[in-house]
Amino acid sequence: MMNFNDFGIDSASMAGSLENRLNAARQAGFSHVMISATDIVGHPSSTASAVQTIRDSGLRVTGLEALRDFEGLSGKMHDYKIDVAKSMLSLCSQIGGRLLLTEASSSAHADTDPEKIARDLRKLAFLALPMGIRIAFKGLSWSRTVKNFADAAEIISLANCPNLGLAIDAFDVIAAEVPLGDLDLIFPQQIFLVQLSDFMLQEVHTTEEQETTATHFRVFPGEGAHSEALAKFIVKLEEIGYFGDYSFDVYNSDYLQIPAEVIAERARRAAEWLGETVLRRTLPVPNMERLRLTARDRGC
Amino acid sequence: MRNETDRESVPEPPNPIGMDGIEFIEFTTSRPQALGDILEKMGFRLIARHRSREVLLYRQGGMNIVINSHPADIPRTASPLEHPVISALAIRVRDAGAAYQRALDLGAWEIPVRAQALELNIPGIHGVGESLIYFVDRYDEFSIFDIDFRAIPGVDLHPPAINNLNFFGIVQYVGVDRTEDWAEFYSQLFGFSRIPDSVRFGIMPKGELLQSPCRKFFLQLIEPDGAAQYAPMEEHLQRIGLGTPDVISTAAELEKRGIEFLATDKVHTNERGALTKAVLGGLMFELVQTPSAS
Repeated sequence: MMNFNDFGIDSASMAGSLENRLNAARQAGFSHVMISATDIVGHPSSTASAVQTIRDSGLRVTGLEALRDFEGLSGKMHDYKIDVAKSMLSLCSQIGGRLLLTEASSSAHADTDPEKIARDLRKLAFLALPMGIRIAFKGLSWSRTVKNFADAAEIISLANCPNLGLAIDAFDVIAAEVPLGDLDLIFPQQIFLVQLSDFMLQEVHTTEEQETTATHFRVFPGEGAHSEALAKFIVKLEEIGYFGDYSFDVYNSDYLQIPAEVIAERARRAAEWLGETVLRRTLPVPNMERLRLTARDRGC
Repeated sequence: MRNETDRESVPEPPNPIGMDGIEFIEFTTSRPQALGDILEKMGFRLIARHRSREVLLYRQGGMNIVINSHPADIPRTASPLEHPVISALAIRVRDAGAAYQRALDLGAWEIPVRAQALELNIPGIHGVGESLIYFVDRYDEFSIFDIDFRAIPGVDLHPPAINNLNFFGIVQYVGVDRTEDWAEFYSQLFGFSRIPDSVRFGIMPKGELLQSPCRKFFLQLIEPDGAAQYAPMEEHLQRIGLGTPDVISTAAELEKRGIEFLATDKVHTNERGALTKAVLGGLMFELVQTPSAS
């Protein structure tokens, strides 16, 4: 038996109006959705309308994405990024989100000192703390300092704040051929979010190729060239005791020319494939969000 | 002094901002009279009014309670509600400006200076829910109340406390799995430290106890249990705990004054503590036995 509630979809994987994409996600059976900040501030009516649309959708917000190039800056640039972070945290809070995805800086201006990076992320986590928002920090292969989840985990340990954890993107793990044994070094409770996608290319050789593939040519799990690697990755996560959300972050330029309903349906097939062939999570695990969701479904 | 990049290797001083107890606790309500009546029964006296705002100062011994009922046009997040809510905690520190700056550097949210409810020149940050935390460094020879408040004519400005009642602590309700977060918040910003589970005060032992670095004040973090776990996250400062060396006689005195205490199988007055019945939509006070009250 699969548990469909384990999987959510990124709104950025679909084209069309926010209303249409949320509707497509719900129609396909998803119970949570990862929201992009641009969905809200780019709404044709107003930010308030977008917020209301999300709150009325009946979908839980997996999280808000993404704060970028935040850490490692100083002086006015640091202050500016703090302001950006505060705006995103406020948005996240308004839509009922409890997680802000933060991608490692790829800015050439960013300090590479791990202590400084950790201190900035700790400050970000502190800003998020009173609002009940967790910071999920994600390594990027094109970042100068934090290229993968192992690097990110070291920074998280240095920063040592309870609401600061990791986001792990399956794409990065597979594209960079990260040994799965690296996951053994991670505490499962440090992982706040796992993003799932595959891609068509057999291999990506350069960082540039990785960046292009990551931002334009992803496909859903089960559709790509690395189904086996993806399955092993998820089984490994389950083995180490991960019990948080999975979200499909399928950024594909072609998919943005296909109706949202069709894409959401593909996402649904991906969830079914994963649930039937990979996961055997039959009961909700004691995870706050999921318990709450279950209770809501029962009308408690 | 070592330089800043070496900060990790320098242990934080035990009292990083020179915390020295609580200057005042603020309630917000649109019915100040109803709350004032309860405070009077609890032994507080109205001693001053704000010069320009609907803000009252009640005092008992070393405890100040402020009732803020200024209309909702104040640009702040907690608008007056019929039932009183604990809307701010003002802590005494060595240097308010320095404590404030340190908090901002760590990642606290500042409150706009002119939006401060009391219009006092005291810096503050956002705390739990919609509550605020002020830093006050003038509390010895003259206090912040000397400036913006006008004393009620003829009243004793220093009414004695019933049985040495003093601020013992505040109970804060937190969301599911949020104890770690808030313990980190109070420990980093103010230097609060965790008390072992084996040490408990009063009759309401649930949750996590944090002690202030000045050892004069406690915070008790309580997560929801039972069905409440499934409700939307609701975090706020729930009640004030008052310390007294003799709970039984203090409770008896307060009962005489019209305060009712819970007397159920689970919760009833004993020598360790007592809990008042909820009034005005949830307002309650807890008594806690303290070995030596100041």
